[in-house]
Amino acid sequence: MRLSFIAPRPKPFLSLFSKMWVVFIVLMSLFMIIFNFYIVIEMSSFKSGVVDLTKERERLELKIDEDDELISLILRQKALSEEIFSNNTLLKESMKNLFDLVPDQITLQKVQMERNSLVIYGVTPTQDTFNFLLAAPLKSIFHTSNTTFYLTKEGWYNFVSINKIIGEDGIRE
Amino acid sequence: MNNFDRSLDKIDMMKLLIFLTVFMVITFTFVFLMIIPNIKDHRVLQAEYKRVLVHKTRVENLFFEREAELSKLKAENVHIISAFKHPFTQQEFVRYAGKFFAQVSLAEVTKSEYKKEFIEYELNVTSMLKTPTNFYNFLEGLNRYDSIVQADFPIHLESSKESITSTFKIKVYDLNATR
Repeated sequence: MRLSFIAPRPKPFLSLFSKMWVVFIVLMSLFMIIFNFYIVIEMSSFKSGVVDLTKERERLELKIDEDDELISLILRQKALSEEIFSNNTLLKESMKNLFDLVPDQITLQKVQMERNSLVIYGVTPTQDTFNFLLAAPLKSIFHTSNTTFYLTKEGWYNFVSINKIIGEDGIRE
Repeated sequence: MNNFDRSLDKIDMMKLLIFLTVFMVITFTFVFLMIIPNIKDHRVLQAEYKRVLVHKTRVENLFFEREAELSKLKAENVHIISAFKHPFTQQEFVRYAGKFFAQVSLAEVTKSEYKKEFIEYELNVTSMLKTPTNFYNFLEGLNRYDSIVQADFPIHLESSKESITSTFKIKVYDLNATR
């Protein structure tokens, strides 16, 4: 016997209102989980980034040390070679000066240049020629200057002139 | 599906409150237990990352500076660097000196360390030359020679009838290969 005019409807376990809430809560939770997941991923990328950057920095620091070493080596090479080059040039100049100093009348037979001394063997027509033309400039360069003359068969003079500089600089002047 | 559902028309306050409470509990649980601690860690890590990045960038800039300085120095001193690397050989030197002198002979005197990283060879050179100008040219060309060579005292010059016999010392500098 039917007591109602309408057909019975199945009652849903959750009403629309509840469903909406459940969906809303589930969505919110999903959102927060995803957000959290994103943060966690970013954190791990920071961690690996820190490790990578540290490794890279250490590699660069090593390279900087190597570069510094190379730079200082090149600078030391440069300093040494400049010293050597200027010594060569000075040596050339001092030899040139010495030969320019010798007048045409005087013939040199032997020259011994040491760091602090100069020994010249040669022939001069007269003692005065030597004394005026060569001994005077030599005296102005060297601290001590001694000359010994020997008369030759031709009437000229062989001379040995020993000149010394007292000090460390040598004759590169 | 359900045309007769009136749950939205007549909102049950009780249900609303319960759902609201459940929602807030879940939300706060997530926020306080997961998100806030993670964000704290995240901030710390981010700051650390930035600090490391800045440090690395500084070091990198320094590295670029050094590289530029090094390549500039290398470019400026190409001859010197290659001259120090160039192994000194007596034949080569005799060939070079032969341009200026006749009859060149070399005798190695000593080989010693010089200022730790260099090797200094001392050699005696005996040669014949026509005029002292050859000697000047030789000394001038020495600065452009393939190795680093210094002509040094004692220099003995003795003239014979036709030419001058010269004896002098040279010092050759090489990089110490054992370093």
